[in-house]
Amino acid sequence: MGARNPLHVFDFLTNPERFMTFSRWAAPMFGVIAAVLAIAGLYLTFAAPEDYQQGDTVRMMFIHVPAAIMSMVVYLFLGIASLLALIFRHALADAAAQACAPLGAVFTALALITGSLWGKPMWGTWWQWDARMTSVLVLFLFYLGYLALRGALEDEQKAARAAAILALVGLINLPIVKFSVEWWNTLHQGSSTIFAKPENRLPAVYLWPWALMTLAYLSAFGSLWLVRIRALVWRRKARSLALRAAER
Amino acid sequence: MTLDFDAGRYAIYVWPAFAISATAFAWMIVDSLAQARRWKRELERLQAEEQKA
Repeated sequence: MGARNPLHVFDFLTNPERFMTFSRWAAPMFGVIAAVLAIAGLYLTFAAPEDYQQGDTVRMMFIHVPAAIMSMVVYLFLGIASLLALIFRHALADAAAQACAPLGAVFTALALITGSLWGKPMWGTWWQWDARMTSVLVLFLFYLGYLALRGALEDEQKAARAAAILALVGLINLPIVKFSVEWWNTLHQGSSTIFAKPENRLPAVYLWPWALMTLAYLSAFGSLWLVRIRALVWRRKARSLALRAAER
Repeated sequence: MTLDFDAGRYAIYVWPAFAISATAFAWMIVDSLAQARRWKRELERLQAEEQKA
């Protein structure tokens, strides 16, 4: 009897049938977790005291920062899935990448819009071409470019390949977004969450709603990502059945 | 703990930010479920047709 390959534990992510079985219960589970976290996070958002400098605008932090984090996390997933799709030509990896793009684009748009709405009362401007804001706008354009490429080419395999290469090129922008506030003198402030130095970190009364809302956004993405991959698996099967029927 | 929904002079910035975020989530949920439902039904229809043929 041969030794069992330890990588078989990931079969539920690589085998379409097992993925469908796994995602059938995992998608609603992540959805419920997201709803519970969002309710708790929103409660603490409006229970938190006004900031002595920012007043009530501090509450925007609990929707802006999670959206900004998700814009980068989702792009990272898009890049990894694209790489796996390019190397192994795995249909499920390609579906995972394709399912990331619209969700990531929405999170990035949310980061830009809520940031602008927060910037106007605090900085006195809706927009500034500083390194953080510009690099996030570039991130948004990479998402739009990915979606446009997938829709523009009739040959789906060529479209997937071209879009995957674009997604990999866009990965270069991720460290620029993350470290822009340290590398350049930006209007946008540096990190003040758990990733910041202890002296720059938010007090617990603001850290808790931020953490709960970030986890809610992450769980919501997990749920919606799985739902969209399921849709793409069904679409692929339907297309091949339709093709078979047309050939008969 | 009491909840503070009065954003005062910042209300014109705070509430649109929350409203836009809620709308975006609503769209993501509705669109994702609609896509899944559409392709599941299409697949079931084609499978039924294949069985008949």
